[in-house]
Amino acid sequence: MKILVYIQQDEGKINSVSLEALKGSQEIAAQTGGTVSALSFNSDITSQLAGYNVSEVLLAEDDNLNIFNPLFYLKAMEDIAKAESPDIIVFGHSYEARDWAPRLSARLDIPLISDCIGFKMEDKLTFIRSIYQGKLNSDSVVNKGAFIVSFQSGAFRVDGLQSGSAEIRNVTVDLSGVSDSISPEEKFQEAEQAVDLTQADVIVSVGRGIGKEENIEMARELSKTLGGEIAASRPVVDAGWLESSRQVGSSGQTVSPKLYLALGISGAIQHVVGMKGSKNIVVINKDANAPLFEIADYGVVGDIFEIVPKLISGIQDSQ
Amino acid sequence: MKICVLIKQVPDKDSSLTIADDHLTLVENNITWVSNESDNYALEEALLLKEKHGGEVIACTLGKDSARQVLKDALAKGADRGIFISDSSFDNLDVLSLGKVIASTLEKENFDIIMSGLQSDDQGNSQLGLILAELLNMSHGTLVMGTEIIDDSTIRVKKELEGGWFQWTKLSLPASISIQSGINSPRYATLKGIMMVKKKTVDDVTASDISSDALETNVSINKIYVPDKTKETQFIEGSPEEISEKLVELFKNDIKVLN
Amino acid sequence: MTEETRQVLDVDVLFVGAGSASLAGALHLKRITGKVGLDISIAIIEKAREVGAHSLSGAIIDPRTLNELIPDHLEKGVPFEAEVAEEHMYYLSSKSKFRFPYLPKSMSHHGCYVASLGQFTRWLGKICEEEGIDIFCGFSGSELLYENEKVIGVRTGDRGIDKHGNHKSNFDQGVDIHAKTTVLGEGTRGSLTKTLINKFNLMQGKNPQVWAIGVKELWQMPKDSIKPGYVAHTMGFPLGHDIFGGAFIYGMKNDILDLGLVMGLDYKDPSIDPHHELQLLKTHPWVRSLLKNGKMIAYGAKSLPEGGYFSLPKLTVDGAMLIGDSAGFMNGQRLKGIHLAMKSGMEAAETILNALQKNDFSDSTLSDFQNRIDKSWIKTELYKVRNFHQAFDYGLLPALVNTGLGLLTGGRAWGVLNHLPSKNGHEHLTKLDSGSQSGGNGGNSKYDQLEFDGNYLFDKVTNVYHSATAHDEDQVPHLHVQDTDICINRCTEEFGNPCKYFCPADVYEMTGEDNNRRLQINFSNCVHCKTCDIMDPYQIIEWVPPEGGDGPAWVNL
Repeated sequence: MKILVYIQQDEGKINSVSLEALKGSQEIAAQTGGTVSALSFNSDITSQLAGYNVSEVLLAEDDNLNIFNPLFYLKAMEDIAKAESPDIIVFGHSYEARDWAPRLSARLDIPLISDCIGFKMEDKLTFIRSIYQGKLNSDSVVNKGAFIVSFQSGAFRVDGLQSGSAEIRNVTVDLSGVSDSISPEEKFQEAEQAVDLTQADVIVSVGRGIGKEENIEMARELSKTLGGEIAASRPVVDAGWLESSRQVGSSGQTVSPKLYLALGISGAIQHVVGMKGSKNIVVINKDANAPLFEIADYGVVGDIFEIVPKLISGIQDSQ
Repeated sequence: MKICVLIKQVPDKDSSLTIADDHLTLVENNITWVSNESDNYALEEALLLKEKHGGEVIACTLGKDSARQVLKDALAKGADRGIFISDSSFDNLDVLSLGKVIASTLEKENFDIIMSGLQSDDQGNSQLGLILAELLNMSHGTLVMGTEIIDDSTIRVKKELEGGWFQWTKLSLPASISIQSGINSPRYATLKGIMMVKKKTVDDVTASDISSDALETNVSINKIYVPDKTKETQFIEGSPEEISEKLVELFKNDIKVLN
Repeated sequence: MTEETRQVLDVDVLFVGAGSASLAGALHLKRITGKVGLDISIAIIEKAREVGAHSLSGAIIDPRTLNELIPDHLEKGVPFEAEVAEEHMYYLSSKSKFRFPYLPKSMSHHGCYVASLGQFTRWLGKICEEEGIDIFCGFSGSELLYENEKVIGVRTGDRGIDKHGNHKSNFDQGVDIHAKTTVLGEGTRGSLTKTLINKFNLMQGKNPQVWAIGVKELWQMPKDSIKPGYVAHTMGFPLGHDIFGGAFIYGMKNDILDLGLVMGLDYKDPSIDPHHELQLLKTHPWVRSLLKNGKMIAYGAKSLPEGGYFSLPKLTVDGAMLIGDSAGFMNGQRLKGIHLAMKSGMEAAETILNALQKNDFSDSTLSDFQNRIDKSWIKTELYKVRNFHQAFDYGLLPALVNTGLGLLTGGRAWGVLNHLPSKNGHEHLTKLDSGSQSGGNGGNSKYDQLEFDGNYLFDKVTNVYHSATAHDEDQVPHLHVQDTDICINRCTEEFGNPCKYFCPADVYEMTGEDNNRRLQINFSNCVHCKTCDIMDPYQIIEWVPPEGGDGPAWVNL
């Protein structure tokens, strides 16, 4: 089983979702007796890739591959797939991957199982996807032939990524004749950005337990120290203490950050559905019976007004 | 300007989902069916383009019989015509095969633009728009937050990138564009619009209209199930000082959100 | 957009509300006018996003009207769950149950069908559309249109208005629908109905209408554990003898158990909480045993008119008519109103045909509707139970005696009186200092034992989540409280703010402390039951329809 992992780079750095996908691929290889190769379109990252346990690192270089343009990337991958005949092509499910992996599937006429949250070996290699907005999971298998799979951010953890030492091999691609029907312009950031909680890695969220509007400042400071965003459950927004764009829950946003730190939130189901997909849920509430503890990874039964100020200084000291 | 909008019928976000005994399908008696959220935004974007630049908007859906409602709603909002693709032999096709079914239906229409929602709220594959682009030899854009027609043969789209970045991209027509939710304010179907639905046509497409190799699939879903709750909450105890120390440790070394 | 640009739609007959009354009425009207060569335009406006989404009932449907309207309803696939297969009546104490050994025939449900009203109206709505009736979903009736005191139609609600009352970018102005006759089939405590009744004093000389609230849950039970067509009704626990009502437990298809509680909105103790009463019901060992290994999948609530024959208003004015639950055609004793609602719609259709042929839609012609009702089996049925609900003012046992005597005397109260009076439900509420309740400001102590475990018993907020109700948050709240100072300064002391108890959807909350106390209205939880409009002791809450399409999205309630 030959697994080829496409590694995305951003500004010369390896994209973390690709790296997680590489880890996942190593696990698949271990369980199926396969090999893993890494593919890059940029030499900035190849030596780092060579330090991981892969059978080889493939590098395709061309001026047209310096900046992401789906049609050029597609043709490059098409050429490489023809030459290398991988059984599985792996992507990290990043925004960039969304912009070409499905088209690659149609180009090569092989299925793409997208946005997988994991895999398991049963009769066959089985891929797990989260469906119906996280309410259910599905198990998919590819019955025959080569295929593409993309893994969701957080499906695998990069600590434990095996190291090794691999050769870097240049592969040639022919990008002449690729249509210029897609022409990207310069990237830019918007001057005034609306709050997008779905992009935050860390969310500090407050509930009724925050008590008064003045106390939100403490939570805000904590979120700043952690480099995250502040959010709230419905009662806090209803009281006008935070804008509705910061509401998490069934009538607000659905989030799944690396860390969801809930302060004084009891855990009504309307709120839970908006955050239960978070990778690490830490709940601080003085009520030991708060339903939110049921889905918490870590729980603290305690007074947020005693703990949070110490937490803030503790974090500041450690940095 | 001839625009096609792909709309899918999905369960309402708050519907209670019960898995049927076959572990593959849902019990449908308690489901409220709605048009997929991002598809609504795609439809509105298409209607706005039609209002500004003239042309036709054709709504297309692939689904079970109840999905006809999705086309009715689109026609009531201002789409000119509908295409209803339905057949029980489509039930187990994977998204690539479904793309082939849809492509073979839409091919002869020679659309300038195909608009789709970014992803469906049920399977969430997020692939169809790009699959069609490839099969129908169109340019494509996804995660689109804005559109602008430049001239008869060019459209500019604003794409959302990670980390708060954006990028405008020029696409030569024909183009397949996947629209992100929130791009516009979907209109209501007016009384007049609802009454006009009777006068508009919906074309039916079944498996006999599709070439046979589109009807094969290499992907099987073995089962659908409720995710296991494997969580064991670890309680952190001690004085506030001790607790905050342990939390800092946790954030630094385990969860790794601190540098 | 201005008044000059407001769109006008002309139809011959307009029905407000796509419930069983309007659907039956519209269908019958289309057919009988067609038979005499009249091609008329009939429109129905419905505030829900689709027909049936706001329909809630037990229900057990008497097929009598369906046999008249659509004789081949079984062949046409009417979505009944099952014919009533077995029926039981129980008296519950808190721990045990006593079966009523004998059910008089007139209270039996034999020959009737367990059904979901939402599924039933969806089916009937499809037939209406197939036969050429336009049903406009997502359009609320916001005000009646008059010309010289004659009703000439309805203005639909504006859509696309934000919480400050400003137009959003997709603002859609309401349309004026002009009709020769406007038929109000809005269901229980209709909002246009309420204004019409007040404007023309249609309740003069009548008993005030009294309502009950029905709160229900659907439970998905293990395979093959539920018999479709199973029917049980109970009285006693948890309502006791002073509150009208009882529970219903019906077996539906697909192993769904339909469990609910109907309680009169004329109780005395302002800390009574209908949602909590339903949870209390589930603590009964027998009820609890019925729910073993099940999962609650849906929740809803709706009021129902219990006043009966003497609470029917004058049914017509120039240009308008009242049908169904809006008028109050419900048989409280049989706990059935759907067949009566449909029949009232059909009789309205006959009245309108006559009016069309005479080209006269004034009250003098439309009032023939009252004659038709009186000559039909509607009156026969309702007259027999005309004093049923009023006797419950005296407690459960006297009421049962009254019911028994009524069965023997064709409806005479206590066997002798023709007409028992009643008073408005909210007027029954007693003030806090009169010592009638067993709690205090923190709620009624009878609910203290309730532990909301999230598996069998649910707090209100969790149930609301399963009520599939949603409203665009960015709109002006549709619950108009005329003077919230009364809530804060008078009601807290006098009644303890009963709105936070009687609302089954946690809409009303008193928040803040001391001088910062205020009434918070979580309007997006509203399930459109109208209980607040009915039961508020000061009658300052006005329920108006929210933006069209908002509200519950019930599938089979």
